[in-house]
Amino acid sequence: MSVRILLCCVAVWLAGSVLPVMAGGMDELEQASRQPSRPPPQRIVALSWEAAENLLELGMTPLAVADADDYRQWVVRPRLPAQVPSAGSRLEPNLELLASLKPQLIIISPSLLSMRASLQRIAPVLNIDAYQPGQDHAQAAERILLQLGRVLGRERQAQQRLQQLEQGFAGLRRQLQARGAATWPTVQVIRFANPSMVYVYGSNAMPVLALRRLGLRTTAQPAPSVWGVSQQRVGQLVALQQDIVLYQQPFAAAPQLFASPLWQGLPFVRQQRFAAVAPAWSYGGAASLFYLAQGMTDALLHLPIATAASRPSLR
Amino acid sequence: MTLLLPAAGRGWRYPLALCGLLGLLSLHLWLDGGLNPAAQWVQLWQEPVDFSGLQFHYAALPRAAMALLVGAALGLSGSVLQQLTGNRLVSPMTLGLSAGAWLGVVLASICLPGMLALHPAWPALGGAMLALGLVLLLAGPQGLNGLPLVLGGMAVNLLLGALATALVLLHDQYARNLFVWGAGDLAQIDWQWTLWLLPRLSPALLLLWLAPRPLSLLVLGLAAARGRGVVVSTILLLLLAALWLSAVSVAAVGLIGFIGLVAPNLASLLGARQPRVQLAASALLGALCLLGSDCLALAFSQWAGDSLPSGAVTALLGAPALLWLARRNLRPAQQAAAPPSVVAGQRRWGRGGWLLAVALLLLLTLLSVCLAPMPAGGQLRWVLGWPEALLWSLRWPRSLVALSAGAGLAIAGVLLQRLLRNPLASPDLLGLSAGGSLALLLAASWLGQPLLQGGPLLALAGTLLVLGLLLWLGRKQGYAPGMMALSGIALAALLDALVQAVLAKGTADSFAVLGWLAGSSYRVSGTQALWLSLAVLVLGMLTLAAQRVLALLSTGDGVAQGRGLVLERVRLGLLLLVALLTAVVTAVLGPVAFLGLLAPHIAALLGARRPLAQLLLAALLGAALLLLADWLGRVLIYPRQLPLGMLASVLCGAYFILLLCWQRLRRGGGR
Repeated sequence: MSVRILLCCVAVWLAGSVLPVMAGGMDELEQASRQPSRPPPQRIVALSWEAAENLLELGMTPLAVADADDYRQWVVRPRLPAQVPSAGSRLEPNLELLASLKPQLIIISPSLLSMRASLQRIAPVLNIDAYQPGQDHAQAAERILLQLGRVLGRERQAQQRLQQLEQGFAGLRRQLQARGAATWPTVQVIRFANPSMVYVYGSNAMPVLALRRLGLRTTAQPAPSVWGVSQQRVGQLVALQQDIVLYQQPFAAAPQLFASPLWQGLPFVRQQRFAAVAPAWSYGGAASLFYLAQGMTDALLHLPIATAASRPSLR
Repeated sequence: MTLLLPAAGRGWRYPLALCGLLGLLSLHLWLDGGLNPAAQWVQLWQEPVDFSGLQFHYAALPRAAMALLVGAALGLSGSVLQQLTGNRLVSPMTLGLSAGAWLGVVLASICLPGMLALHPAWPALGGAMLALGLVLLLAGPQGLNGLPLVLGGMAVNLLLGALATALVLLHDQYARNLFVWGAGDLAQIDWQWTLWLLPRLSPALLLLWLAPRPLSLLVLGLAAARGRGVVVSTILLLLLAALWLSAVSVAAVGLIGFIGLVAPNLASLLGARQPRVQLAASALLGALCLLGSDCLALAFSQWAGDSLPSGAVTALLGAPALLWLARRNLRPAQQAAAPPSVVAGQRRWGRGGWLLAVALLLLLTLLSVCLAPMPAGGQLRWVLGWPEALLWSLRWPRSLVALSAGAGLAIAGVLLQRLLRNPLASPDLLGLSAGGSLALLLAASWLGQPLLQGGPLLALAGTLLVLGLLLWLGRKQGYAPGMMALSGIALAALLDALVQAVLAKGTADSFAVLGWLAGSSYRVSGTQALWLSLAVLVLGMLTLAAQRVLALLSTGDGVAQGRGLVLERVRLGLLLLVALLTAVVTAVLGPVAFLGLLAPHIAALLGARRPLAQLLLAALLGAALLLLADWLGRVLIYPRQLPLGMLASVLCGAYFILLLCWQRLRRGGGR
């Protein structure tokens, strides 16, 4: 047997599997929103949760949503009607199922770009890249809702919804200001991985952007990852000396951690500047940003610092 | 306590070891709490007044204590296991215990999340005990000191690991928080776990006190030991105690490999000969090793700002250490693992059999293309019929890939088993699949490249690199089977550790990694499928052309050499063939465990004993098995899908375990 023959085989085989073509540079949604198709597509499959959220916010019911059951449990709002079927998992949606549904449009996120060729055989594919590094995710989320509205012939609904959300934000801001939020210390948001590890949201993470929208100051540093979180040990939270700290629920091991002396010794715990935020999707779109802000406002308004400010000072 | 080093200079080496331990401890506390040794000393004797004091008392000290306890327990456990079995490759990790514990925790996190939060230890213990039970059942009392134990352990390890991965993939949201834990993280928030672990380690004292006598008698051999009054139940008790130690360790901190494997080897390298000294030295060295690894993990976390689990560090250091130890320690006689014959059937594989096999494969192929569930008006309906053009274009690449990958892996398995005369050999055992996967994973996590871009090239580079390394390492020993298998274990564990480290970040990418590692045909395009089948076809033809050489090699080195074969060159060529087959399959599918091991076995079991017959039948069986796995993966939990590699592992693993059990029962338990 000759080694050379083998090497030739490898070379031939490699030639057939050249690297997949790189993803296009221009924002695809933007391009599509400049030339929306007539008539706009009605039967749409959402293979990412922020796409599903945006469709529902525009008043459209998706034909199918990837991991629909998990969406109902984790994203919760906006509500996904019970009859909308699951399209398989977000990483591996079921192509045969999609084909049988005969959709007019399939919306994906970049994690499915490598499947584009297969998906395109079923229906036109629209890739929405909501979490590009270096952009303001909150602004991008609004732009995406508007552009998607234009693509789907629902620009008016999109504008209305954005206005509603803006009014909502203004209401939340007023509530906070009435409790003296202007004088509050900075706020930081975290999520627990387990009793000894936390994810700290960075300056480009949605929960932090929601805080800024509320007119609050935050200490968040730029996080190295696209998703905007960095992992820290619980002890490192001591760096948050003066901050209010909010944590995103759910956290099953809360009783165990919160009872420990180490946790009790953290400055924000001792001084009761710590509160839980009701579950909301922290990697979503414009509406999720608002739901996050709502949860945080609720949490903040129950802190002693807020209730103290609302009472007339005794001094 | 006279231990650690041989008689020469014992007087001053013991204090030296103690100083080393204290120094390392201080360094560890410094890295963790940020207090210098002097401040540590002050802090130790006073109530914590500020947060750095709290951190020292409730995070740094318990973490160091945990590292010492777990390290000692694992070292001791590994030492007992190795002395019991007389096998330097045995350890809690290689016995499938950790996989069992992991499965237990994953199961609990899905079924009883509340219970897991309060009592995380019990599910882990349950899983570890399940693994232990299975391994004991497989090996039987007679198999304890031989290869059957490792064999059973590997089977259990793969099967339970595959099941756990399947569950994580199915319930990603619930299991996400477990990843850090799964990677063996020593971080503590109070003394709760230390206090939990401490009483549960008491069997260790029993071991140190009672075990040395039976162990020293066992060195003479089981029969001789029995003659002098060591009963099987004593051995079983020792085994149980050792496994208990590692089970509670896994329950307390998660998966930490290699300590149990490396510490006893290190002890004997440093000259610990008698059982008692071996045990004590292994415990001490285990504690030192884990403390040292954890220092590195802490230092890395501070330097990179991203926490690295201790388990990943032990593997990063342990894998090369294992290779080095093996090269120093193992004599060629030990390296040539004496394989027990798993194959016991007497039948011959006749013409009718071939017809049946081919017909079966055709039927399966037809089935996998034509039968599928379809949604119809909110209901699922099974549809049997030739698929329309669009469905056909979605289905045939997957079926073709499954067919050719199965055949390719089976051929590689036959080649390896014949070449190394080792029924345990398979591409995953040699670390070739792990090499390919490692390359992809490293590229994904450090170069920030999307996992599946440039997959084939990277996987091939990784596989060839591993092969090159293997050939370089194995040259001196004439490519002895034991050495080769050892490097495979080391590489596979390294891969595991890196996977855990990547998963510990808990980002969405983790699931892409996990999905790919489970071996999926989902992303395969038609072109890729065609190229893979062509590559397997060509490489398979080459193998068939080499079947005479294979037959000669099977008769023995002497005979083969007498017929004029240049052994080293032939082995090199055939190994290269195996590497290429593995690389092409891994690049397209990801690692598929167990198939390369099993298909040749079943073929031989069915009566195909000659190289040509075994190659062909194994290829047929491999193709059929992967095809079945792919089809099941598509339909079992429709509309979600299971990766075929994982299903193949579960199918083949379950079959393998049944096979081993059945053989043991047939041989009878009381021999």
